[in-house]
Amino acid sequence: MKQSIGAACVLVVIVIGSAWAHHSMSAIYDFNQRFTRTGTLKRLDWRNPHMYLFVEAGKDQEQLETWAFEGPSPVFFRKHKVGKADFERAVGRNITVEASRARDGSLSGLIRQVTLTDGTVVSLCPENC
Amino acid sequence: MKSLYKTAIVLTWVSTMLTVCGAAWAQDTSADEETDAARARRTAEQFQANARILTVFDGHGNIVTTIGEPGLFRYPALSPDGSRLAVVERNPESRISDLWVFEVATGTRTRITSNLSSTEERTALPVWSPDGTQLVYMSFRDSYEGVYRKSANGEGPEELLYRHPGSDVWVSDWSLDGRYLSFSTNDIFGGIFYVLPMKGNGERQPIKLLQAESRRGVDSPLSPSLSPDARFLTYVSDESGRPELYVRALDPMFNGQVPAATETRQVSLKSAKFALRQGWRRDAGEFYYVAANGGVMAVQVHDGSTLEFGEPRQLFRLSEAVDLDAGNISASRDGERFVIAVPARPTLQQITMLDRKGTVMTEVGEPGRYFTPALSPDGTKVAVRRNSPETGNEDIWTFEVASGVGTAVTNDVPFDRDPIWSPDSSSVAYHSRRGIYSSIYRKAWNGTGQVEQLFQYTPGAYLQPADWSADGRFLTFQDGCWGVLYVAPVGEGRDSAEAHVMEWLRDDYTVAQAKFSPDAHFIAYLSDEIEADVFEVYIAPFDPGQPDGGRAIAKPVKVSGKGALGMISWRRDGQELYYMTPDWEMMVVELITTPTVQVGEPRLLFRLPHPLLARDGNSPARWKNVSPDGERFVFLLDVLVTDITK
Repeated sequence: MKQSIGAACVLVVIVIGSAWAHHSMSAIYDFNQRFTRTGTLKRLDWRNPHMYLFVEAGKDQEQLETWAFEGPSPVFFRKHKVGKADFERAVGRNITVEASRARDGSLSGLIRQVTLTDGTVVSLCPENC
Repeated sequence: MKSLYKTAIVLTWVSTMLTVCGAAWAQDTSADEETDAARARRTAEQFQANARILTVFDGHGNIVTTIGEPGLFRYPALSPDGSRLAVVERNPESRISDLWVFEVATGTRTRITSNLSSTEERTALPVWSPDGTQLVYMSFRDSYEGVYRKSANGEGPEELLYRHPGSDVWVSDWSLDGRYLSFSTNDIFGGIFYVLPMKGNGERQPIKLLQAESRRGVDSPLSPSLSPDARFLTYVSDESGRPELYVRALDPMFNGQVPAATETRQVSLKSAKFALRQGWRRDAGEFYYVAANGGVMAVQVHDGSTLEFGEPRQLFRLSEAVDLDAGNISASRDGERFVIAVPARPTLQQITMLDRKGTVMTEVGEPGRYFTPALSPDGTKVAVRRNSPETGNEDIWTFEVASGVGTAVTNDVPFDRDPIWSPDSSSVAYHSRRGIYSSIYRKAWNGTGQVEQLFQYTPGAYLQPADWSADGRFLTFQDGCWGVLYVAPVGEGRDSAEAHVMEWLRDDYTVAQAKFSPDAHFIAYLSDEIEADVFEVYIAPFDPGQPDGGRAIAKPVKVSGKGALGMISWRRDGQELYYMTPDWEMMVVELITTPTVQVGEPRLLFRLPHPLLARDGNSPARWKNVSPDGERFVFLLDVLVTDITK
């Protein structure tokens, strides 16, 4: 039985995946490692438990990278003045994201603050801080 | 102080109130006004649940005085001469917290910070300068946690001393020689202890003194403190597997440089909960901590440079209705006084069985600190999470309804929460944490046999089990932020291709409490799809053979009328469904599920005369408290504790 439980656990982790589960954020992101990226918002995934912004950014056009930035749940935005429509309007345009870096070194981060093209600053703290 | 007495008043059940059912609730007002009124009422309920009285105790646990009126107070800190109290108060409506200073003798207060209600700004964790003229505190501003200094009379500018790139800054003390501020940061992997040099001006760089790993995956503060002479460092760590208080010797020549590894000694004997902020006596001859059982402890420090300490001795211990944590107690610098933010309405909970009219049928066991009750399918037992007054552990207990006899299902340091019963009432599944992993475990209802891990969630995540299908094949649970409803196979065949955890419902609104119909063809659940934070009960199809779990078979059907809080349950025959409204009304709805779902008008069964107040973040929404025949309802009713001293 123990063995089968272990198999099920592995399966569970694969099926759910850390990207889609609500978690104590410090398990995935190192809050002491802040960084900022400015780039083109390529798309967003607006679903529970956490929304994602995918941003193409780099120091020059030869080294563009696509970063996955994780935010709070969509419910967070239902209670704030900035919502999904504002982010949808920003797709294809430049945004700046300040985030905490992923512990595994991947191209991902936990959003602390976003500056949209029109200069609107959206703080996702304290949920993401 | 010897144990005096504790008078418990079980709040009486007034059946005549049950018929009122809120009919007078603003019938002639607009929907907006209704919403505003409901919001105001819930704010008042939350204030009642969380308000605290600033209370000064002597070293024997006798109440010396109280300060001011009840409020949402946290982080009290007495000034060096004991005449003033710095404390953080949260605004019940805006949730913004600010720092205040009270005159202990008169209760007059001075505002120190003025955070903005339009943002998430907040202040916490004040400590006093050795001469009592200044305060240092943590404030959250513009997505940063900063350490600030300001005059203790509230005048003059605020000075930023340090801006932390991360989070969870815990300011614990200002050394009595004035040289260092001590603070820590922590996350799920452990904590780091720093000192901040206080001489000079402008922002300064912290010095890292210690890094401690957490074995429990619980991001609780190290609650570190530097001795007044900067010779010793006290902190709490769970490196042994349970939290204990340690003392580390610092280099006597410590001058702000990173010290080499030095000797460390465990001081607490039977687990420590936390060390007090500003927890060293002025002469460095004693320091204070709170043991796992809630006892306020003193440790004598012997002269000399070696690590020699007396055995911890208990100064006093309050009723378990006073939930001491590192944020609601501090000591005076002479060790003669302790100020505690005591609940304005300290209560324990009585497991109580009601009938369908809301009349008390029986009380089960003794009052205690219980959470999330679950009635067994055979109706003979109640499972709860119990906070042990002896060990401080959060364990699962079961109580037999007929005899009131309680049995520990679990007895361990990791927290165990949210019990649900197996369909045959033989075992209990619950949520627990090992390291950074939350899992659902199962154990026999009487605590015998081995614990079985049913399911492991993703790193760092929290989950809440909600239901176990009557055929034993599936569990439902939600993620910790109520974003996704999952169905996990747990019966036979879960090692096959069927053994996928299914995201049964995941959208951009909040969902929770997925409860299987008795035939497992439907799931009832809470959702705020229409309006944020306004929940209703819906029913939607469930079919594990479908890729989407069957939700596409038919549109969800709204069951509730004017909002729902939770406590969703089906009757055994699937023809009635029960839920609690935000106005504490237990409702019933008649149902037909074949060939299509048809629901009747919600009817009132009874209304609670008092709100059920969320404690430790445990909303009554998650209670699984209705018998399968719909005839009995289990509640945790407040028992007021009128004497908190023991």
